[in-house]
Amino acid sequence: MSVASVVSALRWCGAIVLIACSTAAAAAEAPSGAEGVYASAPPRLLQIRTLVAGGGRQTSTGSGFLVSPDGLAITNYHVVSDVALEPKTYRLEYTAADGSHGDVTLLAVDLPNDLALVRVDKHDAPFFSFDKAALDGTLQKGERLYSLGNPLDLGFTIVEGTYNGLVEHSYNEHIHFTGALNPGMSGGPAVDSQGQVVGINVATRRDRQLISFLVPARFAAALLARGRTQQATPEDLRKDVVQQLGSWRAALYGSLAEQGYQSETFGPYQAPETRASWFECWSQTNASASPKPRASINTTNCTADASVFVASDLHTGTIEVSQSYVKSVDLNQFQLANVLSGMAQPRLAIGGPFRKWYTPQHCHDDFVDVAPAASHPPLRATWCMQGYREFENLYDVVLIAVTQDQGHEALVSRLSLQAIGYDDAIKLGQRFLEGLQVVR
Amino acid sequence: MIWIEVLSRHRDVTARFRINARELCIGRSYDNDVILDDPYVAARHLRVFHDEAGQLMAEDLGSANGMYLDRGRSRLARVAIDGNVPIRVGHTLIRIRETSHAVESERLVRSASRFVQIAAAVVLGLALLALAAINVWFTQTSEPHLSDYLIPLLTLVGVGLIWIGMWSLLSRLFSGQSHFLRHVVIAESVALAFWTYNEVTQFLAFSLTWSIAYTYTYIASWLALAVMCFLHLREVGRTHLVAKGVVVAVLLVIAVAVQTLQRSEAYANSGRRTVWHVLLPPGLRMAPLQDETTFFADVGKLRTKLDADRAAARPGANAP
Repeated sequence: MSVASVVSALRWCGAIVLIACSTAAAAAEAPSGAEGVYASAPPRLLQIRTLVAGGGRQTSTGSGFLVSPDGLAITNYHVVSDVALEPKTYRLEYTAADGSHGDVTLLAVDLPNDLALVRVDKHDAPFFSFDKAALDGTLQKGERLYSLGNPLDLGFTIVEGTYNGLVEHSYNEHIHFTGALNPGMSGGPAVDSQGQVVGINVATRRDRQLISFLVPARFAAALLARGRTQQATPEDLRKDVVQQLGSWRAALYGSLAEQGYQSETFGPYQAPETRASWFECWSQTNASASPKPRASINTTNCTADASVFVASDLHTGTIEVSQSYVKSVDLNQFQLANVLSGMAQPRLAIGGPFRKWYTPQHCHDDFVDVAPAASHPPLRATWCMQGYREFENLYDVVLIAVTQDQGHEALVSRLSLQAIGYDDAIKLGQRFLEGLQVVR
Repeated sequence: MIWIEVLSRHRDVTARFRINARELCIGRSYDNDVILDDPYVAARHLRVFHDEAGQLMAEDLGSANGMYLDRGRSRLARVAIDGNVPIRVGHTLIRIRETSHAVESERLVRSASRFVQIAAAVVLGLALLALAAINVWFTQTSEPHLSDYLIPLLTLVGVGLIWIGMWSLLSRLFSGQSHFLRHVVIAESVALAFWTYNEVTQFLAFSLTWSIAYTYTYIASWLALAVMCFLHLREVGRTHLVAKGVVVAVLLVIAVAVQTLQRSEAYANSGRRTVWHVLLPPGLRMAPLQDETTFFADVGKLRTKLDADRAAARPGANAP
């Protein structure tokens, strides 16, 4: 972890970095615009630092902001995750703009939305309020926002940018903010010109320009309402993280199952593709490759970056559905089988170090016949699965099916589900296999 | 008349003396009938003579290092000579025979077997090359190039020639004959057997969904190498076969154990087995199609394994 920030890669059609940051926000009574925001924000902002329990040096820093007169503050879950998961090893401290510092107590977390509620020992300080239009979701696109935080531990900073509404193709709601968020700013607020909170800095796209993401303010408001009275012990919090992960995944896969699959045609085959709007689909062909390919391969790949930051070394939750229709141009059956072999290896991805988070992978291969045989091709199916050491009934699953009705063409279908409960996996897998049909 | 033969450590005759007398002396000095240039032999070391019964005897003439039978450890003052067991004086082995010593009967020159060997070497060699070529052909899924075939085939031939040449050289050094053809047949037949194993197990992994034999191909490859080395060693010299077998077996066990350990450690670190999921043309399927229910019931067994792993991996699960 870098000194100045919690930076974690998310996959979001590419790499997304969670940014831990901090800075200042605005005040209603001050002059409007960046200067006004900057003038009033600093006393409401915090830098939140994670330290090794026994020592005085920080292992990571992020930002946070006060939301009540009695010292409640909001930050990102990923800024405080070390303390949530390993309370005996780590502790939290805050530093305010005036240089004062003190202990931070973690009260509650919202894992799916990457938020945390903390209490700091600071009374009667000014605090931020949430923007009404943002809570109602009626904010105008194009509105100017000011993101505040402490990038790279350089000092409180204000970043001007634009509100672009919610990100499309995303299961979790995120605000698309055009502005330069940097590591260290995570957990800081993004405010409008009146200094009211619209969202919380959370992530940025690496290798792209100014594409950043905010958690909508309403989740923070909900967490504040829920966690205000909470008196959780560290053990309870850890259990709560695990429980939130399980129930959020169950809801997500429930919604995926409910929306169901729709049939797409690939040559003589019908293959299932998800109807869920939070998938992003791309297709690919080798038709124009040079030298002329000896088998034509047309692939459709749908991924949902429904992954979540669980710990600084564990990011998981991606879902992928892909179909490749392979037809021989001048390959014989053995050569084609070789091409298919290469495409049909399980390749289960892991979201963190295996020895810490996962149990060994096990696979099962078989020839499967889905009834009725007239409309379903025989399949060679491979099911590979790995479990999470610490999360009961949560698995990563990949199901690969290769049609076996013809020697010169085949459909290679892949369903890859991270962090899924067993029953959901079986249900989705079954429907996936049943969706593979052939018309001749 | 008595023949005295000086033997090498490998029991080859390095010098032979014909003595036209009923009695003779052997030693390092020039007043002997047979002179041995071995500093560990006494000036007059032993006397060979016939006793009263007419039996040929050897007698130590009071040397410091004494007289022994072959590898024996007991010093002998006098010993009856049978013409087969050599006598050891100093570091020299000598064999003493009379003209009446019976020799083995003549071996037949087997010209037919040479023809069979040449035919076997050619057929096996062509089979290996054909198998290699078919393998290249089947994995040839992009634009075909002649070099795709030439490089692996020439490599195979080159490595084979070096391997066989090495063993022929050893044969030549230790048994005087290179036995080139026999080494060719040994190398080719074992390589072909291993290759066949590899192809058959791949076929079974797909066709019967039975992949255990394919997973343990590395053991088969070490076994094939060990068998090959043993057969080559046997051709180099047919003595000490038990010792050669034991050495090869020990090396085999060490190699398999080390690789198994390395694989199990890699598995413990990565949680993945290095298994290739083989696909072949659908026509080669022999296993029956399973219905969906059976497939998912089998998947349920995976879950049981995973949950057992999870319970075992839990911190403190194995604590006493």
